Amino acid sequence: MSTRSPNIAGSTYSLMVWTPIIPGREAQLRSLLEGLAATGSPLAQVPRTHMARWLVVPAMPVPPGTDVHDPLGGPFLLFTSNFDGDVDSYLHELCELIPDAAAAIWSHCVGCPQPAAGAALKAYLHRNQVDSGFAFAAYGDASVQRIRTALDKRERLADFAVRAQDMDRATRRKAFLKEFGPA
Amino acid sequence: MSEDPPLELADIQGDILRAYGNAYDHTSYAFVRIDCEPEQAQAWFSGLLAHVTTAAPWARKPLTTLNVALTANGLAALGVSDEAIASFADEFRQGMAARAQLLGDAGPSAPREWEPGLGTGDAHVLLTINAQEAADHRRALGKMEAAMADAGGVAVISQVDAQLLHGAREHFGFADGFAEPAIAGATEDRVAGGGVPEKHGRWRALAAGEFILGYPDEDSNVDRHRRLPSAPDGPLGRNSTYMVWRKLRQDVALWRRTIAAAAERYPLGDAEKLAAKVVGRWHDGAPLETHPDGPDPSFDASANGANDFRYGADRDGRRCPLGAHIRRSNPRDALGNEGKLSFRHRMIRRGMPYGPPLPDGVLHDDGADRGLVFVSFQASIFRQFEGVQTPWINDGDIFGLGTDKDFLLGDGSGSGKMTIQGRKPFFLTPQETFVVTRGGEYLFVPGISALQAIADGVAG
Repeated sequence: MSTRSPNIAGSTYSLMVWTPIIPGREAQLRSLLEGLAATGSPLAQVPRTHMARWLVVPAMPVPPGTDVHDPLGGPFLLFTSNFDGDVDSYLHELCELIPDAAAAIWSHCVGCPQPAAGAALKAYLHRNQVDSGFAFAAYGDASVQRIRTALDKRERLADFAVRAQDMDRATRRKAFLKEFGPA
Repeated sequence: MSEDPPLELADIQGDILRAYGNAYDHTSYAFVRIDCEPEQAQAWFSGLLAHVTTAAPWARKPLTTLNVALTANGLAALGVSDEAIASFADEFRQGMAARAQLLGDAGPSAPREWEPGLGTGDAHVLLTINAQEAADHRRALGKMEAAMADAGGVAVISQVDAQLLHGAREHFGFADGFAEPAIAGATEDRVAGGGVPEKHGRWRALAAGEFILGYPDEDSNVDRHRRLPSAPDGPLGRNSTYMVWRKLRQDVALWRRTIAAAAERYPLGDAEKLAAKVVGRWHDGAPLETHPDGPDPSFDASANGANDFRYGADRDGRRCPLGAHIRRSNPRDALGNEGKLSFRHRMIRRGMPYGPPLPDGVLHDDGADRGLVFVSFQASIFRQFEGVQTPWINDGDIFGLGTDKDFLLGDGSGSGKMTIQGRKPFFLTPQETFVVTRGGEYLFVPGISALQAIADGVAG
């Protein structure tokens, strides 16, 4: 039997947190999430994040006149994040680096501690974590930082190649060493 | 052999499956706003229907043709219910202006800069009129205006008159409009180079449902239950299609100056070769893949097999650069996997140039408005048009070209370039804004029965 966490792929961790929304708060939460795009995502301040999202899962529409019941019993908030490293320190960073956004969002959820902050919030998120069925890391073992550095290097090299195309060999070599050589 | 049902040509509008092509010298695109109750608008709309040209084969070429398309607001203005409109594709309901960021319509191409009447929600119905002669054209426009005056409550808010340029060229001077998808049951004769590349040099036609709603598409063909692709509810979802319409202004003088200046630094050829590298074809339409060394006076762009080529033997882009316009627009097998990543993104293009040509050799802008009316037909604007425009035209990642955009269409960021592969690559800079979007709409082209249902107020 495998002891490896189903949440780990490559060097990334796939986190899912599933929390019920307080009855009547769905629209307010939805509007809060929609507003995040206008001011820049708070998740950009959590530097280990590859990709993340908050998603409001609405209550299941029940056909009128039937006895079908919503199996979820109401709307839920799903938070998913793929990040570098372990989940414990990531949740800590989430609560410490973006305390206002984290509190504003999860305060709309059932059972969220008040104040929604620090160790109490972290424990709440941990408790509501759902394991992944299967996780995939497109960049293998590359961290966010390594991907950013590689992209930056590629861009600098392409810019250099354009600038250098009309230089003679000696000038090009000198310019290359100046740009990319040891400091 | 295809098991697909035959196409109901008499119920499909004309100029979609087969091009009117060079048969008509004059084209007008008139956007109409409806400013009256649906019943009154339906009466006007009903009067158009007898004149709409279908895809049924002609006994004799008509002097003029009329085709009709509607925006989502247009459907509502003609009384189609909100519930029925909700069954249309999201991107169509949102409209082109709402998709500007995704399409790269920014800066001078941003919707706030567009010509009046376009992208504002005011354009409801697009009437496309083709005519053989100028006199026929004037007569058809006169009839259209008289019908609107009689009906009241409807008026043209934007009109673009286009015309075929000498030699079927677009304004940058390239032969245009002859590379189209081969469609099962319609244009299978164009399969070599127009279809899906298969093993051993073979090609196969694309399923008609890729372009016409209500028929099996490529997904249906691999589905055990042969389920049809999603389409609007009721009669609207049969023999109809989605249309993309964009007015693209071309700065011909800037294009010529940029290529001429760069050619002075290009070690492997002249301005003509450099321009061909940008496009992937010579001016006469000959593809670089089959004509790497120069244009061919005997090349016939309309001949069967004129587009019978692939990129598999040119993985490094030495013949046709990896970022050439035609390689981006239809990568064929260039993305590997035997073309499986590209064949769901084909579209039928029916563009026409507008504005007077800039005389040969002129390098300074004369201020005239000229460019291309881009028109495409597809079953899914999101998968087909936007699936080409966003990741293939406006980005280079999938081709291993970083953030490079299609050089021909331009980039005003100031950092754009094109890499022309070779033993020593050549970097083509600066990339200017050669093409500016002046407006556009996402439209729905109903089948003939669907047009009638709309006119009768029973479309849903």
